[in-house]
Amino acid sequence: MAEILGTFEQAVLLGIVRLADDAYGRAILQEVEMRLKREIAPGAVQATLDRLENKGLVRSQLGSGTPIRAGRPRRYYRVESSGVRALNDARKTVEHLWRGLSWPLKGHA
Amino acid sequence: MRTSPPVWAEAILRTFLKAESFPNVSGDLLEQYRDSILPARGLLRADRWYVSHVFGFVLRGALPWAALFAGAAVARNTLDWLNPATDYHARALTSTALAVSILLVAGFWTAWRSGSFLAGAVTGLSASTVAAGLTILGNAVLLASSFGIDPAQGSGGLDELFHLPLMLILPGMAVCSIGGFLGAGARRFSRAL
Repeated sequence: MAEILGTFEQAVLLGIVRLADDAYGRAILQEVEMRLKREIAPGAVQATLDRLENKGLVRSQLGSGTPIRAGRPRRYYRVESSGVRALNDARKTVEHLWRGLSWPLKGHA
Repeated sequence: MRTSPPVWAEAILRTFLKAESFPNVSGDLLEQYRDSILPARGLLRADRWYVSHVFGFVLRGALPWAALFAGAAVARNTLDWLNPATDYHARALTSTALAVSILLVAGFWTAWRSGSFLAGAVTGLSASTVAAGLTILGNAVLLASSFGIDPAQGSGGLDELFHLPLMLILPGMAVCSIGGFLGAGARRFSRAL
């Protein structure tokens, strides 16, 4: 069975998938903030990216810098095939959990 | 008008991050600072935003060490309460050695990652401060849940529970700094080989 992903890890991985060739730290942060509709600490995204890379779910390479970054390089991320499998498994798990129930759930909280 | 974040904050970030990560991580922060935060919030609030995120990185890195340190301290107090001894010398020696080891390794590890001699001091200050808070919280929970047990039957009573953690912040920083010097030195030595 592939890696079991947390919600935030899924958000970061899906952000990388959506951004394709433009998936670098700040762009991923903005994408995740937009999808989760809340402000996210850059450190949280960076820690998640490091963890995903250590697990072999993403890989990264340095790109060039820009004047607004004082020439400091961007690190671009790509999802590995194991990352794609992990995302598919996560989606399948959620669908399995919801099977037979209609959304939104009705009843007393 | 200045368009860069405070130099000292960036210096802290440099001492704390992995040497390989600093250029891209600080570049991301700088890009966001200049591109969206500064124009929208002004210099003072943009600086505050930057500094808070630098401390976020520092605290995130220090938290595991702080939790280890606080866990060891609360465990020692629990042992003293539940199993009082007549002579606390052996326990004191063991727990001091454990605390010093945790801080030395913390300083060594962060300085090894960043290559900065100052990394140990930054980690020591943040980890010891967070650990003091966690230890006091843990001791308070221990005290509240231990009806009928007199804290004075431990080795140091209430003072040890609530004052000692605060008194350990600066010594903790000093010990972690030693680890930092060793870690940064070892990194330089290993690169020179």
